[in-house]
Amino acid sequence: MREQGLAADDPVLRLDRVGLSYGPESDVLADVSLSLPPGSLTFLTGPSGAGKSTLLKLAYLGLRPTAGRISLFGVDTTRLSRRELAPLRRRVGVVFQEFRLLDHLSAYENVALPLRVAGAQERAYREDVVELLTWVGLGDRLEARPATLSGGEKQRVAIARAVVVKPSLILADEPTGNVDEEMGDRLFRLFRELNKRLGTTILIATHDMALVRKAKSDVLRLADGMVMRVPHTALALKEEPT
Amino acid sequence: MSASASPLLPKEDAREAALFFVACALCFLAALSGLVSRSAYAAADAWTTDVTGQITIRVRGDDAALARAVEVTIATPGIASARAITRAEAEELLQPWLGAGGVPASLPLPRLVAAEAVPDVDAKDLVVRLTGALKTAGLETVVDDHLVWSADVRKSIDLAGLVALTAVALLGATGIAVIAFATHATLLARRDIVELLHLSGAQDGFIAGLFERRFLMLGVQAGALGALMAFGAAAFVLYLLRQSDAQIWLLPQLSLSLADGLILGLAPLVAGVASMIAARVTVMRSLADMV
Repeated sequence: MREQGLAADDPVLRLDRVGLSYGPESDVLADVSLSLPPGSLTFLTGPSGAGKSTLLKLAYLGLRPTAGRISLFGVDTTRLSRRELAPLRRRVGVVFQEFRLLDHLSAYENVALPLRVAGAQERAYREDVVELLTWVGLGDRLEARPATLSGGEKQRVAIARAVVVKPSLILADEPTGNVDEEMGDRLFRLFRELNKRLGTTILIATHDMALVRKAKSDVLRLADGMVMRVPHTALALKEEPT
Repeated sequence: MSASASPLLPKEDAREAALFFVACALCFLAALSGLVSRSAYAAADAWTTDVTGQITIRVRGDDAALARAVEVTIATPGIASARAITRAEAEELLQPWLGAGGVPASLPLPRLVAAEAVPDVDAKDLVVRLTGALKTAGLETVVDDHLVWSADVRKSIDLAGLVALTAVALLGATGIAVIAFATHATLLARRDIVELLHLSGAQDGFIAGLFERRFLMLGVQAGALGALMAFGAAAFVLYLLRQSDAQIWLLPQLSLSLADGLILGLAPLVAGVASMIAARVTVMRSLADMV
């Protein structure tokens, strides 16, 4: 089923009949279409194993689809070379489910990583990184290594790393999956603030339906390899099986 | 805060220490082989220079026959000079085998003529003509053609040099293969970093650069230490040879000349650049498999 109702002239992310399979009988995603208008905050829900993480991976160009077309910022990525994909990736902030923090770097250095990749000098970004870590409540843990951080702290470092380059699109995979409800609310408020303050388009994959209900944002439901849009006004969801 | 101070690719002490040892050993062997190869070619050149154009004529007969042989030899076109070797000179030549004063007066020593050909003359043709002239003059002589045995010596030393060069090439190729293997292992071990950088928008060159710098440094350091050890080994062998005053025929003589210094100086550079290129090629190939 095609995702409907999110029509926009120039969506930040657009998937047209995207499919992904690892063989003739193993469709991970069958026929997914969706678009995210600029400045939107959207949840992606669905049962475990439905392919939420895979869909996000396709969106942040970690995989190529076996069918269909993915457009980022109005650019059709289907025929782009590896070299041409890199600048697009720099405009996307990703919060990975498993954090993917580098153990040998401090919290500060982890957050600064995308800036180093972009070739920025430390003196140019030092204050921004400190400010960002302070904003996520880790101003006193700048030098802490990931091994010494709690799950919630790691998650906040991962979020700070995702937003440090002021991306146009943030893709977050279960960003509240490893934290308690209070921390989950706090993290979501960070996303909400980014969305409101900077107009960043955000897609959050989660199975935390309590959070989705509280957020009152639009929801894309992924099931059976397809996506269906559920407006938050029509949201009367039961807890998703996990 | 020191974001730029921490390398994005962390050091892996245990594996890198082992790799450093292997690279160092290969550089040591390659540098030593290089020294042997250069010495072999230098020795071959020296041998050739020494014997080129020199002809020795053994004369049967008395002093008059010897004098006549000198005259005929000088008169032969292609001969630059010729002179009779005195009994004292002949005794001196035999001294290493018979000792000082070890030649009894009654022992007949061969009468010899030492001749030198003009440069660039066809030596074989000259020997034929000289032999003919001496025979025509009624002299019973044997003309020793140094070219025959010097060519064999040259061939032997050239072969030794070639073997040493082959060893250098094989050791170099082995070193590159080891670095490529180590790069691949590091790449697999730190795939998390590579993927994260890739997904953060890093170009392949940026990621490959991390590995290039790592292995360039490793190659340079291993090459420098290996070359230093090769220098030490060569100097030790040289010292032993000089202490024993040994004359080892047909073996290249180590000298530690300017050319040897060049070989030793180039070893770290070559090892570093080869390591860097091996790392780059390996990383770029691996990254090509990613989206």
